[in-house]
Amino acid sequence: MPGAEHILRFPATLAAYEQAFAELRCTLDAQAVEAKARYNAELIFEEIVTNIICHGCGHGPHGTIEVSLGFADGAIVMKFCDNGPAFDPRGHKVAEISSIEEARIGGLGLELVRRASAGIDYQRTPQDENHLTVTVAARWNRDEG
Amino acid sequence: MRIEVSDLGDSVRNVALVGRLDTSGVLGIETSFVTALVPHGKHVVVDLSKVEFIGSMGLRMFISVARTMRDKQMKLVFYAPQPLVNNVLETAAFARIASVCADAAQAVAATKA
Repeated sequence: MPGAEHILRFPATLAAYEQAFAELRCTLDAQAVEAKARYNAELIFEEIVTNIICHGCGHGPHGTIEVSLGFADGAIVMKFCDNGPAFDPRGHKVAEISSIEEARIGGLGLELVRRASAGIDYQRTPQDENHLTVTVAARWNRDEG
Repeated sequence: MRIEVSDLGDSVRNVALVGRLDTSGVLGIETSFVTALVPHGKHVVVDLSKVEFIGSMGLRMFISVARTMRDKQMKLVFYAPQPLVNNVLETAAFARIASVCADAAQAVAATKA
């Protein structure tokens, strides 16, 4: 339902990520998000959260991730907050796959996020937190027909 | 995540993936997937029709296996991805890594091309 907000807060571990991902899917079920937007929201969650865990605050003992999901008219707004090292994904250039010889195994996730989103914003706060906001264009199933 | 393996004659193996190729799914299946494909000396067609989700971890697994198969001069062809999964494959320009066909018959034919 547009206007609703949901917050997921969990340790930066793969086990906690699995549980949070299941909770995300339940939330998207409850919101009746249409299929493409739902897929994009899951894809962005998967790529951003696993990136934080594997390359950011997942290496420390006190890493925490908070994901706020806002359901506004025409968009899902996903805000990712973590206390890991500064990382602005907007600044990373990603090469497309050109051939099997040259394909890079890393970097695909950020490119998928870029393509699945309608907008990306990033701030490093004075409290040394990463605040990444990703907007997904969305319709709701009740909007169709 | 589940793998179903069957042989289509002497030279082609069919591997069907069932479930979600997110990080958890890939971590749970990667070893079985590689074992099902690589050591048998056959071309492989991979049925994606029951894959509901793929992220970069799934793409990385496919790229890694495609390289190994190519080094062993075996063909790896994917077929029947669901539309949203196919969108991800297209976004990643995955066709530059391996063929993606509409159905099993086309995929098997592609292994013989």
